[in-house]
Amino acid sequence: MSDVSSLRRMAAAVRFALLPIAATGMLLGSGGASAASAAQTAVDAAKPLCAGGKTITIVWEAGLQSLDPQNFSGPMWEKLTGCKVKVVEVPASEMFTKIMQEYRAGTGAYDALNVVPAWMPDLVQAGALEPLDALVDKYKYRAELKNIAPTYRDNQMTVNGKIYGFPDDGDVFVMYYRKDIFADAALKKAFKAQFKYDLAPPKTWKQFDEIGAFLTEKLKAKGTYGASMFREAGYGNFLFQERFRNEGGRFFDGNTMKATINSPVGVKVFEGWRAENRFMPPGVEKFGFVENLATFVKGESAMTISWPPYGRFAAGYLANEKALDWVPKTTIAGKVGYALPPGGHPQLAMGFALSVASTSKQKEAAYLFIQWLNSEEISNQRVKLPYALRDPFRNSHFTNPEYLKLWPDAKNYLATLQAGSKTGLLDLSLIQTDKYEEALRQGISRLWAGEDAKKILDDIAKEWDTVTQKVGVDKQKAVYNAWAAKGGAYPK
Amino acid sequence: MKRSANLRLALRYLGALVLTVFFLFPIYWLFMISFKTADEIYAFPPVWWPETMQWDNYIVLFRDGDATTVLNSFIVAGASTVLAMFLGTICAYSIARFRTGGDNLANWILSQRMVPPVAVVFPIFLLYVWFGIVDTYLGLILLYTAFNLPYVIWMMRGYILDIPLALEESALVDGCSRWQVIWKVVFPMCRAGLFATAIFTFVFAWNDFIFALVLTRTEITTYTVQVTHYFGGQSNFWSKISAMSVLGTVPVFIVVGFMQRYLVRGISLGAVKG
Amino acid sequence: MSGPTVRSGDRGFRYTLVAPSIFVLLLIGVFPIVYLLMVSFQGLTMTDNDTSFQGLLNFRALLDDTRLWQSLMHTVFFTAIALPAELLLGLAMAQLFIDRMPGRQVFIALLVLPVVVAPIVSGATWSLMFDNRFGPINQILGWITGEEMAVLWTVKPHLVYPAILMAEIWQWTPFMFLLLLAALSGVDKSQLEAASIDGAGWWSTFFRIVLPAIWPVMAVAILIRGLDLFRLFDVVWALTKGGPGTMTETISIFTYVKGFQQFETSYTGAVALLIIVLLTVLLTVLLKRVSIAR
Repeated sequence: MSDVSSLRRMAAAVRFALLPIAATGMLLGSGGASAASAAQTAVDAAKPLCAGGKTITIVWEAGLQSLDPQNFSGPMWEKLTGCKVKVVEVPASEMFTKIMQEYRAGTGAYDALNVVPAWMPDLVQAGALEPLDALVDKYKYRAELKNIAPTYRDNQMTVNGKIYGFPDDGDVFVMYYRKDIFADAALKKAFKAQFKYDLAPPKTWKQFDEIGAFLTEKLKAKGTYGASMFREAGYGNFLFQERFRNEGGRFFDGNTMKATINSPVGVKVFEGWRAENRFMPPGVEKFGFVENLATFVKGESAMTISWPPYGRFAAGYLANEKALDWVPKTTIAGKVGYALPPGGHPQLAMGFALSVASTSKQKEAAYLFIQWLNSEEISNQRVKLPYALRDPFRNSHFTNPEYLKLWPDAKNYLATLQAGSKTGLLDLSLIQTDKYEEALRQGISRLWAGEDAKKILDDIAKEWDTVTQKVGVDKQKAVYNAWAAKGGAYPK
Repeated sequence: MKRSANLRLALRYLGALVLTVFFLFPIYWLFMISFKTADEIYAFPPVWWPETMQWDNYIVLFRDGDATTVLNSFIVAGASTVLAMFLGTICAYSIARFRTGGDNLANWILSQRMVPPVAVVFPIFLLYVWFGIVDTYLGLILLYTAFNLPYVIWMMRGYILDIPLALEESALVDGCSRWQVIWKVVFPMCRAGLFATAIFTFVFAWNDFIFALVLTRTEITTYTVQVTHYFGGQSNFWSKISAMSVLGTVPVFIVVGFMQRYLVRGISLGAVKG
Repeated sequence: MSGPTVRSGDRGFRYTLVAPSIFVLLLIGVFPIVYLLMVSFQGLTMTDNDTSFQGLLNFRALLDDTRLWQSLMHTVFFTAIALPAELLLGLAMAQLFIDRMPGRQVFIALLVLPVVVAPIVSGATWSLMFDNRFGPINQILGWITGEEMAVLWTVKPHLVYPAILMAEIWQWTPFMFLLLLAALSGVDKSQLEAASIDGAGWWSTFFRIVLPAIWPVMAVAILIRGLDLFRLFDVVWALTKGGPGTMTETISIFTYVKGFQQFETSYTGAVALLIIVLLTVLLTVLLKRVSIAR
């Protein structure tokens, strides 16, 4: 008890000392924000609920992601409110399974959940998630919810107009490129002579092809390829969705609900991929997150597209962090530039939202914990944890003064993430999304197996139509059209 | 004549060496990775011998408490082995000596072992929810006991049939009770069988993945489940995957090393009397 | 004979002995079957809690599900290659070690280690081994061919089966080896000598004397491995997840995907029952042919 009160006194002192800065804008640290902050509201409301030592169980992705609630936010919440936090670590590939399984059995074992937004319609339809609107009003969280970056707020929070989760991870695919290579005078000159335009991060996939092939030709002898890319099916799924829509593709015909993924655009994307592999490292067909990361940070490729942690890892900030031992040491710190991928509409791939399980026996306490986690004050601290993988998702994160200081180029990094969040494209999200994505993933693995692009896409379309039939054409059509009407479904 | 015999022996050694290299190399590779740094793991061309044997990958597992999952594996595998051995042996005794239930019972019991785990694990999860034993030692111990019982009964029936009836008869004549006969005659007489069977019961529970995956959450995560925690969407901790795997594999290597001579009969469902 | 005899146990005692085991087996073994039977006649899916009676709908759907039958074919194919390969390789190894040689026990002790590695661990290990870039297999091939190899073992259709089979054969050949070695040591030496004196060749000795002698053990080994292969999951899951496409999907993987990723609860129930029925039939036929009981 004395612990908490002394903490509070300290907080008050800090608040007083920092008043001038607080007035100018965003402020960090538990004592920083005004008394009515959503974080403080949550803490105050949780204290009586937590009396007697409750435990909130939350599902979190295993590995690095979980270090946040285990080392940082969990212990802090316990200190502030008395509620213990138990983290159930589940690998990403098992998360949906575990959540559904416990829900189906009605165990009430999980109170709060990390949910990928694309799963939300399925989980809501099944009844696994608790609608949060009433609690949001009760604990005055609407104002702070508004400050979540618009794409995430408008697209990853609600199903059928009701709030089911708080967007908590600004996942966006950004292009990382080697500034030193793109600034090399000799390369620039040679490139201009050959292609009649300036060497710069590609704006179109045609440019990407030309630049990539050119750089590989010039630099391969030194061990650097023009580009490397996710090609493994699980990751390729997102890149396909991104490029397909940037090139003008539509997943379905909104009237008939027939799959149109096998349109000429789809074929073009598949064939483009296959052609581009010629200038990428051998074996790129298998590249997932780590393989691609290793290639890039060791200076073996000049461009790549991935999630935000690449930027932080490549910058080598806090490279001594023990939790990041598994990342090969970066050799390119200070040489990395950030841009939007060709087409300008990056995939908002995956992301996580915080939800409350409908079967929880302590929904209110669980709710307060996620409100606190997601609040301006606490989320600003969480997104810059060196080991965590939560990426900026609030307007204030992109301008967080402490974040800007983390490495010399952090400003451009954050600006690019913010730009991406504005033009980004949502993951396809329907009823039984995973069946559609599974067909696509299998198609991608068949592409690398060497099958004909058109044939594969026809099969995917057929599979998609079968799934749609099973779900019910009209039912799925309504869901699809509602999704397609969202700002981030297709490029405007 | 002598020369050709020597040549033969040399050739056999050569063959033995090649085979040993083939069968041990993956294990070697797994062990070596656990001593490598991240740079060495992602080195191209691959490094066969880490520059320095560093124990960081293990230290991390112990520091973060991940290593306790090996203890969990030990508890569930150990307890379920003891339980299955005891229950299975007395059941086998009854079947062997009294033909209890006839062939039908014996066949039914054996068929229980053949069901693919993936087909039944969800219903078992539901059952456990009703009993409230998901994520408890009791739950996994009960499960492994059940899945090992058919094997134990089958094996021990064979061993018990090998015990001369006369021994038990004379014990009964000497005034032993039925239970005392089992305890004082049957168990000691088939000690070798108990060991052979117990090894495999233990290894099965120790190495199981799918049941442990579904029936645990956080409290009693076993090491096989823990290994899969390191495969992530945005991270692949090969260093931890290998170190954790080694921690989980070394104990069974040791057990099997000590129990070498009991191995054959156990592995062959009793078809070979080792 | 006077006094109690072992065989005349009183009824109470003999049933007391079997009761706990039967209880545990019924508890864990029977409920799932009842549950599967129940749900397989309903219409439970991920988002639909429809428990009304659907008749044989799910079972009829089994017939039209090409992916299901393909996965069954893949399983059969894996078995058809792996089982003979393990058997022959195991037999050859057993021949190699049958005669005394110094250090024999050490070799045997080392060779059996793969058998006790957890399948999930061995799957992970092999996926590392086969990694086109950071794995040693391509590196070794590179030394042999003299050029840099970037073979995509788990991506290319003509390579995935060899890759999976390699891992499978690696783990289970020692099992065959151990069994057959024991069986070979049990062959009557005097018969072999007699054959040798008669001037019988190696092959005819093998087929006429050795094979009949080791057959009971061999049959059990085939049975055990056959059933295991029918349930093949971990290694394939770790290496290809059933891909490319569904090219290496086994029946267990199919069941897992349907049940635990797509939550087609009722349909999965029907699939699971199908597997259990198939296994039961298979087992009955095999047990009839191979007398496992002594």
